[in-house]
Amino acid sequence: MTDTGLTRGTTGAPLEAKAEKDWFELAVAAALPMAIALLALFFYIKAPVFMTVNNWIAISVQVSALMTISIPFALLLMAGKIDLSVGSTLALCGVVAGLSFEPLGIAGAVLLTLAVGTVVGLINGVFVSSLGMSPIIVTLGTLTLIRGLAQWLAPNPIFGFPEEFLVIGYERVLGLPILTWIMLTVIALGVGVMALLPIGPQIVALGVNKRAAFLVGLRVKAIGIGLYAATGFFVAVAALMSISRINSAPAGTLGIGVELSVLTAVLLGGIPFTGGKGSVLRVVLGVWLLGMLSNGLILMNVPTELSLMTTGLVLIVAAGLDVLRSRRS
Amino acid sequence: MTAPARLEVKDLRKSYGSVVVLKGVDLAVEAGQVLAFLGANGAGKSTLLNCVSGAQDADTGDILVESASLRGLNPRQVQDQGVAIIYQHFQVFEGLSVAENIFLGHEIRRGGRVDRRAQNRQAQELLDRLGVEDIDPRADLGSLGVGERKVVEIARALRLKPKFLILDEPTASLSDKEAKALHEVIRQAVARDGIGVIYVTHFLDEIHKIADQVTILRDGRILWTRPVGEVSIADMTDAISPDALMTGLDKTPFQADGAEMLQIEDLTTDFVGPINVALHPGEVLGIYGLMGAGRTELLECLSGAAPQSGGRLQIGGTLRRFRTPREAQDQGVALVASDRKEQSLFSSFSAVENLLVPHMGRSPMPRMLRNFNSEGLAFERAARRLNIQPPNPRMQGQRFSGGNAQKIMVSRWLIEGAEIKLLLLDEPTQGVDIGARHELYEALAEVKRKGTTIIVASSDATEICLLADKVMVLGRGQQVALIDNPHDEELLIELAHKAEHGTQQDVPVGEKEMGAMQ
Repeated sequence: MTDTGLTRGTTGAPLEAKAEKDWFELAVAAALPMAIALLALFFYIKAPVFMTVNNWIAISVQVSALMTISIPFALLLMAGKIDLSVGSTLALCGVVAGLSFEPLGIAGAVLLTLAVGTVVGLINGVFVSSLGMSPIIVTLGTLTLIRGLAQWLAPNPIFGFPEEFLVIGYERVLGLPILTWIMLTVIALGVGVMALLPIGPQIVALGVNKRAAFLVGLRVKAIGIGLYAATGFFVAVAALMSISRINSAPAGTLGIGVELSVLTAVLLGGIPFTGGKGSVLRVVLGVWLLGMLSNGLILMNVPTELSLMTTGLVLIVAAGLDVLRSRRS
Repeated sequence: MTAPARLEVKDLRKSYGSVVVLKGVDLAVEAGQVLAFLGANGAGKSTLLNCVSGAQDADTGDILVESASLRGLNPRQVQDQGVAIIYQHFQVFEGLSVAENIFLGHEIRRGGRVDRRAQNRQAQELLDRLGVEDIDPRADLGSLGVGERKVVEIARALRLKPKFLILDEPTASLSDKEAKALHEVIRQAVARDGIGVIYVTHFLDEIHKIADQVTILRDGRILWTRPVGEVSIADMTDAISPDALMTGLDKTPFQADGAEMLQIEDLTTDFVGPINVALHPGEVLGIYGLMGAGRTELLECLSGAAPQSGGRLQIGGTLRRFRTPREAQDQGVALVASDRKEQSLFSSFSAVENLLVPHMGRSPMPRMLRNFNSEGLAFERAARRLNIQPPNPRMQGQRFSGGNAQKIMVSRWLIEGAEIKLLLLDEPTQGVDIGARHELYEALAEVKRKGTTIIVASSDATEICLLADKVMVLGRGQQVALIDNPHDEELLIELAHKAEHGTQQDVPVGEKEMGAMQ
């Protein structure tokens, strides 16, 4: 912008304060990429096999389902909402797919699974956005309810899926696993929606100031329902990805605890629990950090318990950084 | 004998970004004195009070109580230094008794438990000292009127034995009778305990009853301080009203031509109504009333943010009933809500996003892909039009001064292609400095010239008289008067007070002034 004809006096003092603050912001912003780089270096020193293309591709396959859920989940959290039922919905979708391959064929089963995931999301969305119920309570309810439903539909683990479906889980296209491609597509979708579409700022606006969002004419309810539906849809996608890898759909254990992994990844990615801001790319880094941690610790033969403790510690450190940042501003 | 304690403000300066709000304020009040502190909206009163109370820190200058500086202290520490503040908005709680309210946060304990009996007894003593007889310390606060609640707040402040008490528009929502009683309470406190009082008010007729000295703050500076005996109400009116506001504003009587744009017939909400008024394109209706009179409720109903329970609303001859603000906006009706932080600003959004959020994905912005170039241009135009400072599209909304943030809020509905036919503004200059206030008024004048109908609700009678072609006075949700070409602020204030507290029959009907009566 060149001369705007505005000549009101400005003082220098606020600018200096701003520069100092930007420096600090930069340091906080760099913390996550730095952590990933240092961690990668550490694992490389301890277990050189870590730093191979094949291992990184393996990590991408390991995190692909988690990433696929985390991206829409991140948008939901930015809008100030939450979905704790993603793990159970993953199980339900896996079970539905497993049960319907035979009667409906692969295409039919995939479509039905995606529809079931979307409908679960819609139901969550209607309770939260239309009826104004608490997101945590509603999805805590559906978490239990849907797990029960999945187990009722398939009391015994389902396994042995059609070979044409299982290729999704192991085949590569253009050098990368299909699962990795799906994950990259979801990331691109998430980044694109937030950066290029008008809905991006509207989603965040909901999390910043819901009352203002309503008063300036945003479709607060529709956006909320849409976000839950999208989350449900991508959970269904993640369910298909997961069962294609493990070739079974155990209703009792599939997706257990996924809601917590997703939440951890998204919070690591810098989205505050109260929503209102965040970046999809940083969430990608958050997911990647979790994936790298578990991969690297396994390569180092660190027992699972220790790996769990490390993950928890990392989350708390990240939360500490966030508090530090908000204190400053 | 030692000199009486003094609260002194010395050369206090405070800026928000590029906007200088306090330009070197000097002020002093002595123990046992009441200083009336006057100034128009935007003169910097709230900023000064916030600096004194510790809610904000000034840039330079000093605040001294008996030569101890208050700079850099937090509100609690300021309280400990003997300076108590009572804000305009009530900070007492229903569901607690009077005594519990008075001792909130400083409960008297015995063996770890709250000693209710001692609290009640001491509360009674405090109220007695204030000469208040008819408030029972054990009564629920919910059973008290607004005047009595103010007294409870004062009792609470005095319990900590402050040397100085600052009252921010204590009578804003009180009836004449309640105000009189409150004055008596304040006089008692001054006479018995020798405290010094800074009394902020908009009601000039109070000043001769309560104050010893008058200070006028204008545009961030003290204009003068004089003994109350030497000034008339007219002196004060002249001193307060910033003439800068008047320049450039077209105050020729409104000439209606053509069809009415807006017709409201017997419109009601749960609290407000029935409302009857008709407005032409380019006409400005002011809505005046005290706090809680129903101004906000009415605007919210018209903008689709609150439900309409009855009556008819016609816009451009078509019957409308909006269920959401979005529906109203689609018909060219938009609201700039009061309480910017709570209701309209997206604090962490950039300026350009704040400006355009309402238009994302709908006309006049692109429906599918965002066009960052045209977004930037839209902000640039808005910034130039209303002199948004700094004109930085990427600066966060929360970092703008109140005035500049408000300019962005109003600009939302002035951007090209927004096609707003009816613009509703609720307290548009709340927390807005004087320069920005003038720029907002000029922008509204321009909008009016282009044929947009405007409804402005305000608690500031000066603002209403400045802007409006027609005024509706509300009291207790009722439309009590509709006045054409308002100029008499005192009349508006009087009507609003009577409507809120007196009976309907008490409202005087000036023959020339009244366009219609309910």
